[in-house]
Amino acid sequence: MKIDRRIIFVLIAISVAIPLIFKIGLPNKVTKEVKMVYDSIEELEQGEVVLVSFDHEASSLPEIKPMAQAILRHCFSKNLKVVSFALLAEGTAIGDEILRNVANEYDRKYGRDYVFLGFRPQYTAAILGLGEDLHRVFPEDYKGISTSKLNLTKEIKNYEDISLVVSLADGDLPTYWINYAEARYNQRVAIAVTAVMATTYYPYLSSKQITGLVGGLKGAAEYEILINKPGMGSKGMDAQSVAHVVILLLVVLGNVSYFLSGKLRK
Amino acid sequence: MRRQLPIIVCFGFGAFMLIQFFIPKRSFIFAYENVLDWMQIIYVFTLLVGVANYIKINSKKVSDKAKGWGYNLIALLGLFSMVILGFAKGTDQGSPFLWMFNNLQVPMQSTMFSLLAFFVASAAYRGFRARTKEATILLLSAGIVMLGRVPIGEMIHSSVPDLANWILNFPSMAARRGILIGIGLGTISTSLRIILGIERTYLGRE
Repeated sequence: MKIDRRIIFVLIAISVAIPLIFKIGLPNKVTKEVKMVYDSIEELEQGEVVLVSFDHEASSLPEIKPMAQAILRHCFSKNLKVVSFALLAEGTAIGDEILRNVANEYDRKYGRDYVFLGFRPQYTAAILGLGEDLHRVFPEDYKGISTSKLNLTKEIKNYEDISLVVSLADGDLPTYWINYAEARYNQRVAIAVTAVMATTYYPYLSSKQITGLVGGLKGAAEYEILINKPGMGSKGMDAQSVAHVVILLLVVLGNVSYFLSGKLRK
Repeated sequence: MRRQLPIIVCFGFGAFMLIQFFIPKRSFIFAYENVLDWMQIIYVFTLLVGVANYIKINSKKVSDKAKGWGYNLIALLGLFSMVILGFAKGTDQGSPFLWMFNNLQVPMQSTMFSLLAFFVASAAYRGFRARTKEATILLLSAGIVMLGRVPIGEMIHSSVPDLANWILNFPSMAARRGILIGIGLGTISTSLRIILGIERTYLGRE
């Protein structure tokens, strides 16, 4: 049995659109790896510095944004200081906007509670450089203000003054954080990656080279449960659930027709 | 000399970066920090080479009126308009550059990424067949992980998410570890070959 691909496209479009319009509210279970990221932030003391790196392109924004918002909300609700930047150019404008919006939700002040440092090319050199001197890698922030003059960054020399690094990524950049920041400088690293990349990092989780893993929309939805702030992640999970079921039904249908056609030929 | 000089430079810097890791002397740290700065500067120049190549290829297609040249023209207009707007009006909030980024680039790229769901669904229906024993195992594992990673899996049976996590944490991770170890060993051997001048393909043809 052959189904026209356009019918499949329409089925997927409907299965994604309907749950987004009419909220179903399917229950979500928090997994161990997401709880580990939550705990690694939860155990930090007020005023400690978390470095959030936007290591992604614009294409993965629908998956990255809910994770970024949930993690930043957690940081600001705990009165932690956030230093942020982008190691991929497209993450710069996105990171700046997400950070600013979440900081405004909690009335946090730029320069004192959070700083956005902009983009640095050549991520290997940037990650290694941060282990020596942050002011050398980022002499100025995204607005062109000297990092030696900003209240928050003037106190930070290198990884020794940073309690946790969170890499929000859609590719293999967390590997560089693990290889260079964690392995060389013993920096604690947590990662939040798109669902398709999540399986890549399970080995690093079991070897304790990362303190936790938030994977895709599901991870974002779980984090939203932990901080008790439902957002785009929870909403997206309903759509993803229905879409997964539709794809599985299509696979079953394809296999049934395959076996039936084989028997008919015999 | 055109080939010998890059090999000497490569050996010098490759060997230095390897040795400095084990020598925490001030002079070595100073040199190491400078090398890191140079890496960033060199990378920026490679970006310029990339942009020049992009302009050259697209301009040629437009001037030759090659098939689909209109797309090449749009690509060039996109590049130049973003560069000109960025330099002329800045990249701050409310700037035309940021408006174009948020309202053109982000939606277009997100759309391309989202289209994957449609193609995956279509390809899964047409190609994901239990033709062999191995394919059947793969199909079942994929089905369990797909259900276990969404809330509906838990609603079907409480053990579905646990089973999906088991697949990810054990068989999948074992395979991934093997691949990672292979990549690690390959990286070490290739790096050594490059540093020692055995591997010279990065220099291009003679």
